[in-house]
Amino acid sequence: MPGPGPAPGIGRRRLLRYGAAGASALLATGSLTGCSSRASASDASALNVWDLFQGGDGMLMDDMIRAVSKGSDGFDVDRTILDWGPSYYTKLAMSAAGGRASDVAVLHLSRLAGYAPGGLLDPFDLDLLAEFGVTEKHFTPAVWARTKHEGVVYAIPLDVHPFIVFYDRDAADRAGLLDTEGELAPMGSPKAMLEAGKALAEVTGKSGILFGHVTDTAQNWRQFAALYAQTGAAFTLPDGGPAEIDTDAAVQVVSFMQQLFDGRTNPNNLDYNSALAGFLGGRGGMAMLGEWELPTLRKSGIPLGAAPFPQVFGKPAVYTDSHSYVLPHQSSPDPARRRQAHRYVAEILKQSLTWASAGHIPAYQPVLAEPAYAKLDPQSSYADAGKVAVLDPPNWFAGAASNFQNRMCQPLQSALLGNTSAEKAVRQMVREANTLLRQPNPVA
Amino acid sequence: MTTTTPVGAPAPTGERPPVVSPRRRTGRRGPGPLFVLPFAVPFVLFLVWPVLQGIWMSFTDSSLALRDTSFVGLDNYAEAFGDPDVWSSLGNTVLFTAASSVPLVLVALAMALLVHSGLAGQWVWRLSFFVPYLLPVTVVTLIWTWLYQPDVGLGNELLGALGLEPVGWLSDESVAMWSVAALTVWWTVGFNFLLYLAALQSLPTVFDEAAALDGAGAWRRLWSVTLPQLRRTTVLVAMLQILASLKVFDQIYILTKGGPNGSTRPILEYVYDVGFTGYRLGYASAVSYVFFALVIVVSLAQLRLFRQED
Repeated sequence: MPGPGPAPGIGRRRLLRYGAAGASALLATGSLTGCSSRASASDASALNVWDLFQGGDGMLMDDMIRAVSKGSDGFDVDRTILDWGPSYYTKLAMSAAGGRASDVAVLHLSRLAGYAPGGLLDPFDLDLLAEFGVTEKHFTPAVWARTKHEGVVYAIPLDVHPFIVFYDRDAADRAGLLDTEGELAPMGSPKAMLEAGKALAEVTGKSGILFGHVTDTAQNWRQFAALYAQTGAAFTLPDGGPAEIDTDAAVQVVSFMQQLFDGRTNPNNLDYNSALAGFLGGRGGMAMLGEWELPTLRKSGIPLGAAPFPQVFGKPAVYTDSHSYVLPHQSSPDPARRRQAHRYVAEILKQSLTWASAGHIPAYQPVLAEPAYAKLDPQSSYADAGKVAVLDPPNWFAGAASNFQNRMCQPLQSALLGNTSAEKAVRQMVREANTLLRQPNPVA
Repeated sequence: MTTTTPVGAPAPTGERPPVVSPRRRTGRRGPGPLFVLPFAVPFVLFLVWPVLQGIWMSFTDSSLALRDTSFVGLDNYAEAFGDPDVWSSLGNTVLFTAASSVPLVLVALAMALLVHSGLAGQWVWRLSFFVPYLLPVTVVTLIWTWLYQPDVGLGNELLGALGLEPVGWLSDESVAMWSVAALTVWWTVGFNFLLYLAALQSLPTVFDEAAALDGAGAWRRLWSVTLPQLRRTTVLVAMLQILASLKVFDQIYILTKGGPNGSTRPILEYVYDVGFTGYRLGYASAVSYVFFALVIVVSLAQLRLFRQED
């Protein structure tokens, strides 16, 4: 705190001197920020992009943005990376509700039903996208179908990121689980998967299949949704309820999960990180994880194999989600910027080969056809997962990082830990879904 | 305490009614309000106004993702009272408050008495009891997540060494809240310890000495001389602790996200889930005002208790 001040004369002179120094310092920083802002492209003309790609994904996205920023028609991109999780969707919704959102943002396709109906997203102009070389035929029908709300396309998928299995090739080989080409052989029945777990446990001397779910708010749902879709039954969440679910099929799936993770052959009490650490430490021959763990697993030196989530019931299905580009709602969008936004999405999609190195399956199919993609190992082993993609049942409260997934996981976790029966767990899941369905929709 | 009589207060008998000159009135007001402003403005802006706006919001269907809201009367409150998740999470908050406050007072007292009793290496004890309190919540929960790991965690390792069955620290619905409480005691007991230690060090020693001369043993002196003198501190510590425990959110949100099966979800996390993840701000406001009412009741009860102590 400044005191009353010394003699007025000196004070004034001093003040002037410090004032001048301060002002020039301010000017200096001002001009510096001016420079740096051009370098980091935060000036008004730059395209604002929001995403949730951190770590390895984040660096690959940097590479892709650098690639599309080159040349005379390169983009000037101002990228904002936000923390992945429920809070990302809080921020995105608030920015779009305010009408001053970024030009482009990333959204999990499973969240579309919570965004498009409420006017939080602006639709894509398909003609404009076609002009830049991206059309419907470049995507698999399973994924494309989920980009629409009332027939209008609101999202352009960048990738498909399924819940898959990673395995130790040596362990799987010794357990006799590989086919003649050295890939994981199809399982085809619940019994075969139980046997596979036992065989792997014998080989590793510890556990067979590792799966982390304790205190996790997504893993159990991913596993359940994958297996449930394989039974061929549907799980729909019609507005106003009640939830439509084949209870018998659901109980069958939960019972199977309980049998598989019995706490002896395959542990039933791991959390996400301890399952990951267990697989890295050789305490299991197989791990059920998202493909996004590929960069971490590859560094471990394990002879790593990967496969789509094995089909054990009647129908092939893989639980997945998709990072998609959307145009968050702007009250008064500038047509030129909108055009740029479309071109940006198209150009980034064409860089998807880079994106694939993180493990994600590019949604843009021409990239999958490139010989360079076929050489990616083990990514190419599970590329087919995109064709049998199953996402969350669409409703405003469902999707990645949602309360719905969390609520579905809780009874499943109890069931796997042996605290409740499969029947009770399914009843609770239905009850939770109905509770959410009864709530007024806050986005429409 | 200020002792000014308010303007317009009845004058003491036998005196002429005071004729307040304009000059005197301004003199009495003085620059006081100016000094209050730096506090009053943020207080009104960031506390009073949000509280009032929150009450209004609780009567609307306000959404995080929509601009237009409409008045829905008591619908949100009706839903809240009929929502089993509200009651179960409120129960969890109360359970946590009970499970954490009691040891947080008793352990703090025991630690302060130990240090005050003249253990060698005072500063080491003081430091090691207080240091966990300085750690950020993220660090504390990271450490304890690993301690509670079912396979490789120290907790089960120790139990195994003693020949006991492993415990699902965070996965067993009947254990998880106690694990959270244990973490919280370790983390925050240092603050209460410090309050107790300060109180102990400021106690006059005469009573203790007199009792010793009269032949009272150490336990008798602790029980009949020291503890009664610490009563006011105990009330203060307990009051602060209960209010702090009712606010529990962060360590649980990071450690278990309210699981397993909602058994550790405190009411504040439910408000967060409903409001920020589920966008239903109106309903979340109603739930938080139900909780607010509870906190007010607890505070008033404590205030009465405190007054009685005076």
